[in-house]
Amino acid sequence: MAQPFPYTYYTCDCFDSNNPLASKRGPQPLEEDERDFDPHNPRSNYTLYPLEQLLYCEDCQQIRCPRCVAEETINWYCPSCLFEVPSSVVKSDGNRCTRNCFNCPVCTSPMTTNSLDQHGDGPPYILACPYCKWSTVEIGIEVEKGTGISAQLAKIANGGHPIPSLKERDKERERKKELESRRREKDAMSPTQDSPTTDTERDSTPSHDDLFYNLSSFYKSQIDAQTPSNPFSSAEINFSSPSAYSRIMSMYSSSSRKNKRSKPAPARDAASILEGLSIHDPSNDAQAIERIKREGWSTTLQPSQKLAQPDPTIRFSDELRPLATLLCTKRSKRCRSCRHILSKPENKITSTRYKIKLLALNHIPRISMRALPSQYTQSSSAPSATATPFAYDALKPGIPTHFLLHISNPLFDPIRVTLATPSTTPGKVQSRVTILCPQFEVGANTDVWDDALASSLSPIKHSAQDAGQIEAGKIWDRGRNWTSVVVEVVPGFLDGVPGLASSIGPGAAPPTSTNDGRKRSGTGALRDVGEDDGDLNYDEDVLEIPVFVRLEFEADVNAEERGLGDSRGSKGEREKREEAFWVVVGLGRIVEI
Amino acid sequence: MSSRPAARRPAPKGEYIETDSGNKVSRRSAITGTANIMLGGRTVIMADVVLRGDLHSTRPVPSSSGKDVTPTSISIGRCTVISTGSVIKPPCKISRGQTHYYPIKISDNVFVGPNCTISAISISSHVHIGANVVIQPFAIIKENVKILPNTVIPANMIIASGSVVGGQPARVVGEVGEGWGVSGGGSGGGLGVGGGGEEKWVEGGDLRELVRSIK
Repeated sequence: MAQPFPYTYYTCDCFDSNNPLASKRGPQPLEEDERDFDPHNPRSNYTLYPLEQLLYCEDCQQIRCPRCVAEETINWYCPSCLFEVPSSVVKSDGNRCTRNCFNCPVCTSPMTTNSLDQHGDGPPYILACPYCKWSTVEIGIEVEKGTGISAQLAKIANGGHPIPSLKERDKERERKKELESRRREKDAMSPTQDSPTTDTERDSTPSHDDLFYNLSSFYKSQIDAQTPSNPFSSAEINFSSPSAYSRIMSMYSSSSRKNKRSKPAPARDAASILEGLSIHDPSNDAQAIERIKREGWSTTLQPSQKLAQPDPTIRFSDELRPLATLLCTKRSKRCRSCRHILSKPENKITSTRYKIKLLALNHIPRISMRALPSQYTQSSSAPSATATPFAYDALKPGIPTHFLLHISNPLFDPIRVTLATPSTTPGKVQSRVTILCPQFEVGANTDVWDDALASSLSPIKHSAQDAGQIEAGKIWDRGRNWTSVVVEVVPGFLDGVPGLASSIGPGAAPPTSTNDGRKRSGTGALRDVGEDDGDLNYDEDVLEIPVFVRLEFEADVNAEERGLGDSRGSKGEREKREEAFWVVVGLGRIVEI
Repeated sequence: MSSRPAARRPAPKGEYIETDSGNKVSRRSAITGTANIMLGGRTVIMADVVLRGDLHSTRPVPSSSGKDVTPTSISIGRCTVISTGSVIKPPCKISRGQTHYYPIKISDNVFVGPNCTISAISISSHVHIGANVVIQPFAIIKENVKILPNTVIPANMIIASGSVVGGQPARVVGEVGEGWGVSGGGSGGGLGVGGGGEEKWVEGGDLRELVRSIK
């Protein structure tokens, strides 16, 4: 989901099973140094999440992303009428609302039940879309009652014709079959007569539903014909029946009756319309083409509209049906590796609370990056100039810009943070990034009042006189549970400039490089990313900085058993812990000079 | 504009008039029918916001005391922020040739982005509405919903809690994470947490800090 700049995304370890962090924890300085993270890699799309979406497994002591949790459905509900649907109904009727909720087949917005009566209440009723003004009048459907719409719609075909029920269909099919067999007998007796079978098939092309029911009943009869004749099917074994004994005896006795049993006729496929066979008829296509010629493209459907329909083979707008609203689910989430529940919402549909919710927010420090207010960077500028907000959408290439990287600690123990970032960002636009103070401590998340009462930790005062004194190796500012450090960023040039972006030579830059990077992206996005040309791919002008974060802290051994209480009261054992993960900070978009 | 308070106090005039309960109402907002508008407290009405309180229900309100009760047309909860240029207009229905307005209820900690047009019947708490969103009459928005910028929510649509909606017309495009609105223990001082721009607040979370920072 698109987020405004600047944003921070966190990676989850599960993106790579070969990841050493996923298998065992501990200091692996060499391997970690060698590994790198490229936010522009297509795979990275599936590993980066905003912190709000991540969970934390306290047993595995790891971040859990939506890809490495197992979901269990607690209940189904209709998002429109907010009624719970029992799982048995979901199994029998499918995952759609069986009440009155429908979506417009043209624009997907929810439909309302309107009365066509003069006074506004009373039959007949129609479904109407308040957004695109489509209504069931256009397909000739009106219903008698204002409630139980889906049950009524199931009985009315487009144009107001009744839809036969399942029993009626069966009867009709039997009748037709009989007719056909009688006709065949007649044909056999008087072969000179023209074969009349063609016109019975012609009289009406069967609907999608008819074919489906014909086919399903045909398959049912086939299965019924197959099952009893198969003596080895496990379902048939019943040791108390004489047939089972005779079968077992025949296996051991001499093969006198062997292979005498009539072999079941091999299952055949549907051979006629009554059995659900539909043969492509070119005249249908010709008719459709004629109709498009006559009525124009406006009567045809978009692919998305077609695919949303119960019958995706329809072509024209008068064949549309209102779509019953799809159900939603409430789900609990478990850790895939240790099966512990990570999040469990309350069962009630209307409740938004959780019984269990283990958020990464409570275990992983929040990292954010903001532009350093300009009064600290430009000593000469007047204070009034600070009022203009920093333009993250227009980073100027080649000009060193200072940012504040802010880390706030949700843990109840102080943490020691080590940051690492590649000196030039990966990707075609190479920006130089320097974290001026890569190692520092962040205080514990103690009571808010400690901040006010304690005077020992006096914040570093930055006055306008300090301007320009950004010192390497020193933190910028700190508070109760947060620390900020300065990061110097030199945004790269969009077209390769010798010296700064060495891998993209000046000759490699295409002659169209004066255009905006996004304009060229239409073709670039389709191209293989690995292809090494000077052209920019989609969003490659976005300055994303991968930062490797490693935390070290001492925590109570049994902190999890007690829940996340304040650790100060306990005198339990302390153990050293560490966390390590990549974050990607999207700082902004680089513009051309 | 006639509705603007004509007070010419010698006190320094800021952008906002602050009420006893901490509501901050911009002097440049256009509010009609103030008697029919309820603000919960610590709520911000920014410049160029239009609140149509005059469009109240004309049906007689059954009152126990026998006196006329002023009908409420717009009620807004606590710590809700209505950004610049947004219009809040109670939804109306035409029935038997008469126009009937219905009261609009906006709950606590709702952020309404700039230049929105809102005619919903109810917006629950912890809802974040992006810029240029249109909410057509009688829509119901439940708790913990994020509405992406430039969304058009059709009339009568109900948005279940925890959804992310976007598009024209709006459809549910995702779910907010479990951490929606949780600022975490990490929101210390200084500049801060993700999603909320330069401020110490998160989308869908407690907007008290944001309200405090608006001056």
